[in-house]
Amino acid sequence: MKQLKDKLLARLFTRYPSMLRRWAQKARIAGYSEPHWTSFTGDPAKSRLALITTGGFHLKSQPPFDMKDRHGDPSFREIPADAKPVGLSITHNYYDNRDAVRDINTVFPLERVRLLEQFGEIGKVNHRHFSFMGHISNRHLDTLINETAPDVAEKLKDDGVDIALLTPA
Amino acid sequence: MGLIQRAVEATGIATISITFSKEITRKVKPPRAVFTNLPLGHPLGYPGQRFRQIQVLRLLLKYLKDIQIPGTIIDLDLTESDDPVTGCSLCGV
Repeated sequence: MKQLKDKLLARLFTRYPSMLRRWAQKARIAGYSEPHWTSFTGDPAKSRLALITTGGFHLKSQPPFDMKDRHGDPSFREIPADAKPVGLSITHNYYDNRDAVRDINTVFPLERVRLLEQFGEIGKVNHRHFSFMGHISNRHLDTLINETAPDVAEKLKDDGVDIALLTPA
Repeated sequence: MGLIQRAVEATGIATISITFSKEITRKVKPPRAVFTNLPLGHPLGYPGQRFRQIQVLRLLLKYLKDIQIPGTIIDLDLTESDDPVTGCSLCGV
């Protein structure tokens, strides 16, 4: 029943963006006064790039995200850069993921960044990307802010990544 | 999304994100974001739109270089051009 309700709401939010705007205006969201900032003076064609998505993607061999906890799942999955779309699943019912199932690149442009690397517009695609599930709230937000997001940041730093592109769902 | 972006930027990696909600992004304040007016679940467009998906990535790389003011949200409307309805499962909702 919950799954059906989640899917219906996801379709409505997708079809009617005004619903999202109204929800966002009322939502209690962790606010900050200042952004962090790392200036970028380099050239993407000479940079190492990684993707981070909140589309709930994971390898079929990895455990799915927890859809039973109404506060979401703050964990992440490491996705090899050479993963094939057919080897991936989506566990995330809080958005209408039918088109992402049809073409992963609508949310997680795994194949498109490889093309830009071939075109010479990106220096190097990192050997791994990272996937989270969005829709995280309450105590899981603390885990995300203090543990899992910094953990991914450190992994990317260790990889020598210069640019991270983040795509929501 | 913005919370993860903040953590990555804080380690010294330059980041840029797509946002579906300027309201949320104004609160969370990631360093750089692009609003495209594309619907939820479609940050890079619709299935099979390979060229558009690449162009959105190019836009992100362009704004990564261009944005000099922390917290900037680039406000675009990528829905003005004709979307091929055949590539859009939403059209049948």
